[in-house]
Amino acid sequence: MARSDGTATETPDFPAAREHLLTELIRFVAVLRRDGVAVPASGALDAARAIAAVGLTDERRVEAALRASLLSETADGDPFAEAFPTFWHRLRSGLDRIATAHDGPSPESEEGDDGEDRTGDEAGPTAGSDADDAEEPGLLDGAEPPEMDADGDGDPTVRIPTDRRHAAGDRPTGEPREETDGRRYSAVGESALVEADVPAPSSADRAAAERFVDALSSLPGRRRRRSPTGPNVDARGALRASLQTGGAPIDLPRDAPTPSELRCCLLVDVSGSVLDTIDRSALLGLGERVAASARDARVFLFDTDLAEATAAFADPGGEPAEALRAAQIEWGGGTKIGGAFDALRRTAPHAVDRRTVVVVVSDGLDVGDPDLLTDGITWLADRADGVVWLNPLAVSPSFEPASRGMSDAAPYVDGLFGFAEGADLAEAARQIERRGLGGPVGYEHDPRRTGGAPGGGRGRTDDEARTGDAGEEGVV
Amino acid sequence: MSGELDAGPFDSLTEEELRERFEATDYVADDRTVTTVDLALRLGRPLLVEGPPGSGKTELGKTLAEGFDTELIRLQCYEGLTAENALYEWNYTKQLLAVQADEGTVAGGAATNGDAGAVGERDGGGVADAVSGGDAAGSVFGEEYLLERPLLRALRSSEGRPPVLLIDEIDRADEEFEAFLLELLSDFQVSIPEYGTVSASTPPIVILTSNRTRGLSDALKRRCLYLHVEPPSFETEYEIVRRKVPELDAAVAAEVCSVVERLREESFLKRPGVAETLDWARAVAALRHDDADEPLAPDEIERTIGCLLKEAEDVGRVDAELLERLHDAASAAAERTE
Repeated sequence: MARSDGTATETPDFPAAREHLLTELIRFVAVLRRDGVAVPASGALDAARAIAAVGLTDERRVEAALRASLLSETADGDPFAEAFPTFWHRLRSGLDRIATAHDGPSPESEEGDDGEDRTGDEAGPTAGSDADDAEEPGLLDGAEPPEMDADGDGDPTVRIPTDRRHAAGDRPTGEPREETDGRRYSAVGESALVEADVPAPSSADRAAAERFVDALSSLPGRRRRRSPTGPNVDARGALRASLQTGGAPIDLPRDAPTPSELRCCLLVDVSGSVLDTIDRSALLGLGERVAASARDARVFLFDTDLAEATAAFADPGGEPAEALRAAQIEWGGGTKIGGAFDALRRTAPHAVDRRTVVVVVSDGLDVGDPDLLTDGITWLADRADGVVWLNPLAVSPSFEPASRGMSDAAPYVDGLFGFAEGADLAEAARQIERRGLGGPVGYEHDPRRTGGAPGGGRGRTDDEARTGDAGEEGVV
Repeated sequence: MSGELDAGPFDSLTEEELRERFEATDYVADDRTVTTVDLALRLGRPLLVEGPPGSGKTELGKTLAEGFDTELIRLQCYEGLTAENALYEWNYTKQLLAVQADEGTVAGGAATNGDAGAVGERDGGGVADAVSGGDAAGSVFGEEYLLERPLLRALRSSEGRPPVLLIDEIDRADEEFEAFLLELLSDFQVSIPEYGTVSASTPPIVILTSNRTRGLSDALKRRCLYLHVEPPSFETEYEIVRRKVPELDAAVAAEVCSVVERLREESFLKRPGVAETLDWARAVAALRHDDADEPLAPDEIERTIGCLLKEAEDVGRVDAELLERLHDAASAAAERTE
């Protein structure tokens, strides 16, 4: 990382270095937010203080400091680990560049290199200065990031190739469009077996699935919690409280059961168009979680037919990936969603009752009878406590439920969310936790879609991101 | 927030010193833990520690108290924990006695006291009337009637080094209690309606632990630095066992750690944590007398497996085949520590 001990360990204390650090830090926070990490609003400020405390010499200490100040969820560790090397590389190479620019007069010295800067050249890192500056956002406004290549000059370690194939135009994809992309969204087409080698769900995927399933919990559990408007008097609480008033029960605390149980029916579209768009590990993670924690959970796989796969997900020794494989997943042949709902209604009507939350994972590209789909979805909506539809296409910022199947089903769905990877589940869970399933939830309220997160919306492709970066840095 | 970089008692603390203190108290901490704790101390921020059960979260709080030779004030959270249990309570008996004593000396002169109204709202009219002839402050809500509970004690502790306030298993407490903690965690002060605001002269070292049985609010998390304690590697765990259970032979300790590591690969309902490893190591050491350095035998593992597995179903899954695999793991341990 560092070019020599002399320049690396001696962080020059002058505005350019400071601005560079703050710029990179804010960029890093933006990257984390874009990746779905819930960094608090004051996160960058805390991080700046933390870095001021630990200094910039030791990568591990900086990493620990940033972890402590920016993260608050175990599951956020993975995106952090992915993004940190880039941050560190950019930070160090930028600082080194600034340091060497001061070693002597250089034609490419930056505008900010005035005399005052030079005087501070030899000063070591002082703990207070960075933090104080962090509190003056005004300084930052005028800051010009030090010149750097947009791609970070050749940082092979930080490019983490992903073998996931993303939906065209939805997610950054560095690879050129192959001919497979053409048939990605075709609901009909040649039949061909889809390879079903699925890695086990990562801990982040599992955590996201767990959060999602917990958020869906609708049934009152055994636990009770205090609630001023609860239906029951908390007798023990009242007795405890009465001790303080000499035995006279003046306050009657009330309580209400905590919703902690879920009855769930998971319907997974296993057509190739879905499985190739979705992170299969995350999908397996969801299935396993539903089967493990929901009461009377049922898992069904469907494409042109409906098959129950509860056993594969629920048994500790079961092989969910094997179930996907065994479902004879083939390209094409289309998805008959309406037919699947109809089959569910005929073969397993008790899988859905008024306390069940139905989770449908499908892209809504239906090739069956539209009336059958309308019948099916209205039956589900009538009968179930709630219907959540997870659509892998809905992660795209330009998604609208315009396809015939989706537009038929959308009015009857309580929440239509994008789902292509674990982070999408976490976002859906966040919305449901905040607003409830009956509230304003869905893909359209996803802050990542509207570009609410700084650093740009998720929809930017690599090319756009690159030009964006170049634009920012072009000011120098 | 601006005051966070004010000079505190830990400003001159270095990571090396902190590491030495951990060493001195036999707490094996990785680099990330040391840096994060160091930051929490120097920035004066509460530290939220999460991790699987038995990974040493609570121990961290105890270690800090021991390492800095200061008081450990522990608040164990549970469902239904209220501010009264955690912060303060009025000593009702003493108040009542004071009121009755005054009643004897000043009979019937009740209605004139202006303070009585405020008291009456809480304790009922009869008491309020009687308070009129109270002490010089004219109220039974003085300091001498205050019963300190852990949080208040942590704030008012004024001697020398700040105490360590360990708020254990915060996820077990209700959300209301979590919200109540916010003022304490950000400003190190609490407001008592009848008494006023109590703020800490030296902010305590606050460690919160959570087992993630429920998500914590963003407001709480924002106020804390965050540390996730990972399950230890074989080497770390070996070092922990060597330090905490010195009576166990080194080779056997390596076997113990190796077996536990192998056991964690199985999909048990409750995987053993470091605490279980230590329990087991102590059990193995206690059951050995003359044969202290003999390798672990399968039947020995089977007899003492209850120290590691705490679910009947998990214990039921331990069969001859698994025991054989565990024994293999134990046999391979010797090479790993060399």
